[in-house]
Amino acid sequence: MDIKTAEEFMTRLIEKGKAYGFEECEASFLASSSISMDILNGEVSSYESSATSALSFRGLKNGQMGYCSTNKLDDDSIEFLLKNAMENCDVLNDEDPQFIYCDENNKDLYFSQITDAYEKNTYLSFSELGLKLEKAILALDDRIDAVDYLSITCSTGPFLIINSKGLHSYRDSDGISIFAGARATDSDGSCKSGGHYWVGKDIDEFDMDKFLATFKENLLGKMGAKSCRSGTYKAIFKNEAFQQFVSAFFGNFLATSMQRGLSLLQGREGEVIASDKLTIEDVPMFEKALNKIPFDDEGVLTTRKAIIDKGVFATALYNLKSANKAGIESTGNGFRSGSGISEMPTNLVVKPGTKTFDELVEEAGEGIILTDLSGLHAGVNSISGDFSLLCEGYLIENGKKGRPVEQITVAGNFYEIITTIIEVGSDIINIPSGEGEFFTPSVLVSQIAISGDAEL
Amino acid sequence: MFNDADCLRILDAAMSTTADMAEVFQEVKESKSVSLLNGRVIRAGTSYEAGTGIRLLSGTNCVYVYSGDNDIDVLIGLAKDAASAIKSGSKTDIMALTELCRTSKAKVVIDPMNVPKKDSVDFLRQASDFALSYDPLITQVAGAIACGKRTARVINTRGVNKEDTTQRIRLSIETIATKGGEKQTGRVAPGTMRGYEFINEYPVIDKTRECCDTAIRMVNAGYAPSGKMAVVLGNGFGGVIFHEACGHALEATSVGIRNSYFTDMKGKQIASSIVSARDNARIEGEWGSYATDDEGNESSDLLLIENGILKNYLVDEIGARRMNCKPTGCARRQDYSYAPTSRMSNTYICNGESDPKDIIANTEYGLYCSQMGGGSVDTSTGDFNFAVTEGFMIRNGKVCEPVRGATLIGKGQEILKNIDMVGSDLKISAGMCGSVSGSIPVTVGQPTLRVSSILVGGREA
Repeated sequence: MDIKTAEEFMTRLIEKGKAYGFEECEASFLASSSISMDILNGEVSSYESSATSALSFRGLKNGQMGYCSTNKLDDDSIEFLLKNAMENCDVLNDEDPQFIYCDENNKDLYFSQITDAYEKNTYLSFSELGLKLEKAILALDDRIDAVDYLSITCSTGPFLIINSKGLHSYRDSDGISIFAGARATDSDGSCKSGGHYWVGKDIDEFDMDKFLATFKENLLGKMGAKSCRSGTYKAIFKNEAFQQFVSAFFGNFLATSMQRGLSLLQGREGEVIASDKLTIEDVPMFEKALNKIPFDDEGVLTTRKAIIDKGVFATALYNLKSANKAGIESTGNGFRSGSGISEMPTNLVVKPGTKTFDELVEEAGEGIILTDLSGLHAGVNSISGDFSLLCEGYLIENGKKGRPVEQITVAGNFYEIITTIIEVGSDIINIPSGEGEFFTPSVLVSQIAISGDAEL
Repeated sequence: MFNDADCLRILDAAMSTTADMAEVFQEVKESKSVSLLNGRVIRAGTSYEAGTGIRLLSGTNCVYVYSGDNDIDVLIGLAKDAASAIKSGSKTDIMALTELCRTSKAKVVIDPMNVPKKDSVDFLRQASDFALSYDPLITQVAGAIACGKRTARVINTRGVNKEDTTQRIRLSIETIATKGGEKQTGRVAPGTMRGYEFINEYPVIDKTRECCDTAIRMVNAGYAPSGKMAVVLGNGFGGVIFHEACGHALEATSVGIRNSYFTDMKGKQIASSIVSARDNARIEGEWGSYATDDEGNESSDLLLIENGILKNYLVDEIGARRMNCKPTGCARRQDYSYAPTSRMSNTYICNGESDPKDIIANTEYGLYCSQMGGGSVDTSTGDFNFAVTEGFMIRNGKVCEPVRGATLIGKGQEILKNIDMVGSDLKISAGMCGSVSGSIPVTVGQPTLRVSSILVGGREA
């Protein structure tokens, strides 16, 4: 479905919506086209190409917002959308009002960031790169048995929002990702798996040597891993692990969670909740971000703000509804999720420190490096902050990275851990997350409980 | 849905180069849902989505194109593009289509799609009203009912012409108990392929009371100890451990590329001799069932493990080509935006001979997991982890104090061998399973059983 057809449909839908009895109404259209390729055993084992779109309507009546969505844009669909959204309005009795929004000064935004480089994403360019990469991974070491997955994907698409108050804004995005994973077997028959990823906007900017170096460390560094003795350790959350860790508890920083009593941060804005080494910002237009997010899914202009500022809980993320309830302005973090709007971060940035990863290890002296946390969807109590997770990593011995460890659990409480951050590294990485990306370095914490094997 | 002639035009375009097989998958999905928080209806939504996926195979290589645009000319264009990405093989003929065969495992008396949302709201209010007046520690109650209908048609160049309809409804009730800064939840989330009569018959007050009791017990509980110990897994959702630690490793998705610790183990002992397990997609009205899979094959009731011996893998078309065997009717996908692959349906450990009471009575010290949360596994290494959402210590053959915050950790291939008692109280529970072909409804299940030793990750040494 092209954007022009969608725009005409949406304009008609809004007009009919008003006539149908909605006080205000809004339509948003999200389309996506993508190419994806898997490489296996020296062949293109799978190639996918797609075009999908979805149109979502929401209408306001008596302070209640009814939703309905479809991917079929014809005259019957207008009736379907309006009738069902109205029926949904009729059963709702939310005590907090919702809003259809339009800022007179920012109602006709247009932000396109699709690059010419996107044209380079073809069957040919992906297969050449993928096959070369698979070969290079296998050539890294004799112990590597197979590259179990190697996937290259790109996608692009527009987002258009139109409402009865005059909002008419457009943004789009594009990006490429490469994920690869392999397995290796040691001389004693033990098997480990590991991998690496890359995200970017221009396939020619993929640096294979750099990718392979990290890939090698992520996979072969684990060989010979065994458990370690239970106890309390000084610990470095490697950048990727810190991203996983913070993401698992990030819901607590959303205003709706706080207002529903589902976050222990309720009423604590302005208080110290973490070590003064920790600053986390939401930066929609972050220069290093692949895709910038100038406005949210409610048409509100996004802004840069610190969520944690040198340990102080500066602000939660708000959408129009939660901001109204709190008596403040939306922070521009309202994004669609199912039949509603939830708060989500744009690009999250943990402010880096000055020390390199090796300097963090040296500072720790003795302890443990946590490289990968498993079971984050299960082993955490997102409300209380309690967690108990399977993890992998390395021991830190005499200020150096020591032997690899596996089959250990790390347990504790999120709110306690963030107060024990001693140092933040400079080794910042970016990982796709939420509406944008999560930028974070590694961090060193003073103590964490590890359960391992009592025999060691 | 397209007529046969249009489907054949798409298949013709797809076979214009050297694919050895092509398939058209057409899907229409409708869904509606309503959610309450503390008695107020905070979300109500309705959606419709239709789309088509076209898959071309050449040996074990696959080209998949899909679109939400159901214009026949657009799809023929896509099929031609897909054909141009087939780089090997030789031209294959298209077989004549059989007559359309419609199937379903849904067992619906009252069609949920026709029940007014107000009925669901009234039903969920009973849970809210009860929970909020049950105990001062209960500070929040959330409830939701979601239902959906999916019609999926598969037509392929081998003459297959089938259409399967699934119709599912799921209820969830979650209560939160608060004490100081601590919050704990109790949850039930049954799902079924029966009709709205399932909701009408559901003992909502009793189940809400159970949720409240769990939340209250857990908010008052101390932390679980850590270390290796005997673990008794309660019946029902305890089966998630088998689903994750064993089921995924039996899927051709990993066995077919030899990325599973169960590769080449068919006919061999992989579990304790008291363990048998099945994957049965044919149970009428069950949440994880279907009559025809997403490749057009009839679903099956597959014996996975018999007395500890590995009997069958879960195999889809590409897996069958890689493993040189037949597909088992287990190809599934979330929707048309995913190519199908081998997946589980209703997967459970079969009843054993022990009385569940005796399992506890025979355990001197350990952890009893009455309710499990989710978990995950790495099928190449077997590493798994699971959250215990409600746990109790077992001392001297008795269930003692509740404990919270426990995680079970281990290797899938080891835990199966360490099952030393299997009860006779099989129960299955609904869940969602995420994997390469998206998120699909499945059930997991087991009777009460004991694992002689698992590493428990807790907070107390």
